[in-house]
Amino acid sequence: MDKYSDPNIWKTFNPSGEIIVALIIIGILIVLAIIVGILAKCADPLKRPKGLLKVVEWCVEKLDAFTQDIMGPGFENFGGLLLGIIPFLFLSFTIGIVGLPTPMNNLAVPLSLALVTFCLIHYTSMRYTKWRYFKRYVDPFPFFLPINLLSMWAPLLSMTLRMFGNGIVGWVLMSLVNSVLEGLSTSIFGGIIAGGASGVFLVPIITPVLHAYFDLFSGFVQTMVFVFLTVLFIAQERPEEIEMEANMASRKEAVK
Amino acid sequence: MTDLGMRAIAAAIAIFGAGASSIGEGLLVTKAIDGMARNPEMYSKLRSSMIIGAALVETCGIYALLVAILIIFAL
Repeated sequence: MDKYSDPNIWKTFNPSGEIIVALIIIGILIVLAIIVGILAKCADPLKRPKGLLKVVEWCVEKLDAFTQDIMGPGFENFGGLLLGIIPFLFLSFTIGIVGLPTPMNNLAVPLSLALVTFCLIHYTSMRYTKWRYFKRYVDPFPFFLPINLLSMWAPLLSMTLRMFGNGIVGWVLMSLVNSVLEGLSTSIFGGIIAGGASGVFLVPIITPVLHAYFDLFSGFVQTMVFVFLTVLFIAQERPEEIEMEANMASRKEAVK
Repeated sequence: MTDLGMRAIAAAIAIFGAGASSIGEGLLVTKAIDGMARNPEMYSKLRSSMIIGAALVETCGIYALLVAILIIFAL
């Protein structure tokens, strides 16, 4: 019997908590996107937008300006990619505040995010250089082929491990501090209050600071770094002469 | 010497990488603040690129911490 036609496979389907939280975040974002789409369809284009639509329009405007500013001509559609990646990244870093497991603690989540960037890098390179794309592996001469084949994976590995490391280190440090504080609180208040309830007094005083640093600040900075690296890695795949030509063309139009 | 002792020493050696990355981070912030003091109108631009550079440098230290944690708990 085929493994996938087995009706009992859903009983053994047992994803970890991180994957479920990632799916929950994706669901929230899809619902938000549908709501914004309906709002944008129903809105009167002659009136000033308000509420949620105003916020989203502001974000789209800012991201388009950002991609234009950093990537230059030829990448007009990348604002949409960033608008999809940024909320997911930021929410998955900061969802630890409400007590859910951070999706970044599972290697699959940062790996798939970095894989998107990796595929886009090579797609952009192929789009601009066509068959000369394969020349990058024998650059400067064929002796460098194994080194180039190894260094091809460096951005993928470093981006994956950067996010994974940040998530898991924050989680490990916070759980260490939590267990230490719980033991301390039990040893202080254990004589006054019986049972397991004596361990909860010190934890809420110290850990909010750690959550603010490891979840909010670190999550924000890592989101920014991931977005910047994605944008810069993709933009550097465009050869210089194409950029020069585009600049010349825009200058000629400006002169006219 | 027990197995756990050897592991603790290995983790302590691995965490030296974090020290090196913190030196680099200190140099980075020094230079950035130098630049900010020289021309304060560039303050916001320099601050954002300083934070990004600091996060990139910090990655090395985080790798070291990750390796140390893995040596102690997962090996």
